[in-house]
Amino acid sequence: MKEKKFYPDYLAEIIFVSLIALELLVVIALLYPPPVGRQIDLTKSFQPLPEWYFLWIYQLIRYFPGNSIFVGAVIVPALALVALLLIPFVDKGENGRQKASVIFFGLFLIVAALTLLSQL
Amino acid sequence: MGKLFDWADKKFGIKEPHKRFLKRPLPENVGYSYCFGGIAFVYFLLLAFSGMLLTLYYVPSEKEAYKSILMITEELTLGWLVRGLHKWSATLLIVFILLHTVRVFVSKAYRPPRELNWMAGVIGLTFALGSGFTGYLLPWDQKAYWATEVGTSMLGTLPFLGGYIKSLLRGGSDVDGSTLIRFYSMHVIYLPALISLILWAHFHMVKRRGIAKNL
Repeated sequence: MKEKKFYPDYLAEIIFVSLIALELLVVIALLYPPPVGRQIDLTKSFQPLPEWYFLWIYQLIRYFPGNSIFVGAVIVPALALVALLLIPFVDKGENGRQKASVIFFGLFLIVAALTLLSQL
Repeated sequence: MGKLFDWADKKFGIKEPHKRFLKRPLPENVGYSYCFGGIAFVYFLLLAFSGMLLTLYYVPSEKEAYKSILMITEELTLGWLVRGLHKWSATLLIVFILLHTVRVFVSKAYRPPRELNWMAGVIGLTFALGSGFTGYLLPWDQKAYWATEVGTSMLGTLPFLGGYIKSLLRGGSDVDGSTLIRFYSMHVIYLPALISLILWAHFHMVKRRGIAKNL
């Protein structure tokens, strides 16, 4: 196989993939235009769903009722973020990669599971 | 290249410093999964572009916000499409950042000397999530209002700092017009500026360190 250079080989591929990405977006946006929501009603409280990428936090707060809600809303997500940030420093020494994998895929699976649970 | 480019190049110095970057060989293991980050960047650019179009018509005020969204969606030529592109590229951006993160982890590209770039990426992801949170309020409809009411209340339950963070985000004690202005400002100025800065650092480190070879 011929050695690949950034220019022109990889750049051509990037442009091709970017166009596919643009087409994917346009097709989805044409098929599913976002509706306009209802007007604000302040007379009664309303339980809104957050964006899909915050559903895991939405599910998490159900396990921390009352005054401990901040644990699910702030503390646990903040710890997850710190764990993700520190991945390169966990992967040190003999079993470093295993430890990092457990943290990384563990976080991913927990977030995915919480997201699914919020939809039940 | 053309005379005009050469003239500008003499002033700017575009070609020479980028030669090394453009001509550098790539490791053999680079496949299509290495495009996820690039695709995420494409969606970031599309978000910036569609967002700039939306700011021409959107009015960030308590009285006008909902009306201007109605106007953009129902009256403005192709307004519904620009709004759809903005909304959906936000979702696709998050999807592709996550795919990119998995690819980087699997190919062990977070290891030294690239550990700082991993951290820049994680911070970039939180800024993207922050953009999603602040953008959610802007339509100023039922869902938007209550999601922000609930979201900022949750932050407010944090001991010591909670009350302060809550009123800082809300611009007062309630979610009202001043919250809308703050979220709008964060959504269109602060966060895009921070994201641009972090992306510059992210790409700069890729150029300096190169793409990781599989170990």
